[in-house]
Amino acid sequence: MPNKKILLVDDSKTSLFMESMILKNGHYDLVTAVDGREAVDKALAEKPDLIVMDVVMPHMTGFEACRELRRLEATRDIPIILVTTRGEGENVEAGFESGCNDYVTKPVDGLELLSKVRSQLGE
Amino acid sequence: MQEDGPGTFVRKVAQDTHRYSQELLEENRKLRVLLATLEAERQSLSTKARLAKEAVASSDALKALVDTLETEKQRLQEQLLRAQEELEHHRQDQHELRTRLVSTEAETREFAERYAHVEDQNSKLANLYVASYQLHGTVDFQEVVTVIREIVANLIGSEELALFKMSADGSALELVASFGIEAELYRKVFPGEGAIGRAIQSGEIYVAGTSEAEDAPAVVEPGLTAAIPLQLDGRVTGALAVFRLLPQKPGVEDADRELFELLASHAATALHCARLHAGPGQDAQP
Repeated sequence: MPNKKILLVDDSKTSLFMESMILKNGHYDLVTAVDGREAVDKALAEKPDLIVMDVVMPHMTGFEACRELRRLEATRDIPIILVTTRGEGENVEAGFESGCNDYVTKPVDGLELLSKVRSQLGE
Repeated sequence: MQEDGPGTFVRKVAQDTHRYSQELLEENRKLRVLLATLEAERQSLSTKARLAKEAVASSDALKALVDTLETEKQRLQEQLLRAQEELEHHRQDQHELRTRLVSTEAETREFAERYAHVEDQNSKLANLYVASYQLHGTVDFQEVVTVIREIVANLIGSEELALFKMSADGSALELVASFGIEAELYRKVFPGEGAIGRAIQSGEIYVAGTSEAEDAPAVVEPGLTAAIPLQLDGRVTGALAVFRLLPQKPGVEDADRELFELLASHAATALHCARLHAGPGQDAQP
């Protein structure tokens, strides 16, 4: 059975590197993007099984990208986990309103991220 | 007067005959009664004999039944004994299984704890590796500053920091970059002034909330979480101050202290390399 593909989106190289290390541990194939616009393009081209996306990014934020991905027929069913700096109710609510399936807060806990990824992928 | 003659004789014979007949009849009746009695007796005996025979037969059947029942009872007793032995065996098995289950559960808990510990260690090592790799992945000063900011935001959990360099004459720290704080308050920090100044004076990392920090009765910059003196070859070349942690971050953990230690030397080296790369006479700082 081929590995599941995850699209990892973050404008921070450090975050991308760290999250890549966590998810590679879970034996997933990774595709990366550095902003919301690129995330939408990569999602359409790569058809990932899941998207892990930061909220604060240039060009198109995670919330905006999430709404766009939900609008497009080809990507509307891909589960999205948002990585947010602020874990307060307001911010979380905005994330769910934009169409995300779950969220993790920074600093990212590796076990928590893997657990949520597995849960969204039905593993 | 008695008449002798044939008539008398005949009468006498007739009388005798009659009497004799009567006696015979009586005898016959008696014999019939006797016969009837005997017949009844015979029938009674026959019945008794039959009953006795039946009783004997019945007794034999009962005896056979008793024997069968006795055999069955023995068989059942043996079965019961075997069942009791099996039950006892099962009880012992069950006890053994329970003991093994308890032991396995304890082992599972221990493994889970060890797994969590190993994962935690892995996570710490991964963070240290990421920080070190990123810090030394560039010689561009701005890039190094960005990496330090990202390490503080993504690995430690704070969006408020200040990065200082030591002035050329070593008299004060000068602010190089800051995020999320009022920069004007930290343009210059003198050794011994506040927790940041004390950290560069002692060369020891300051972490708020520790016993060492609480023992020091001096002034502490508002919201300061950690002050990390950046050192190169044992010489303080600058400092990194981390202010308020993100709301979801409960406090400084062991992994954060290790990151502070790493930043103390690796950030200093990375910043120094960036300055050298910028060339002599050029100030790489913003």
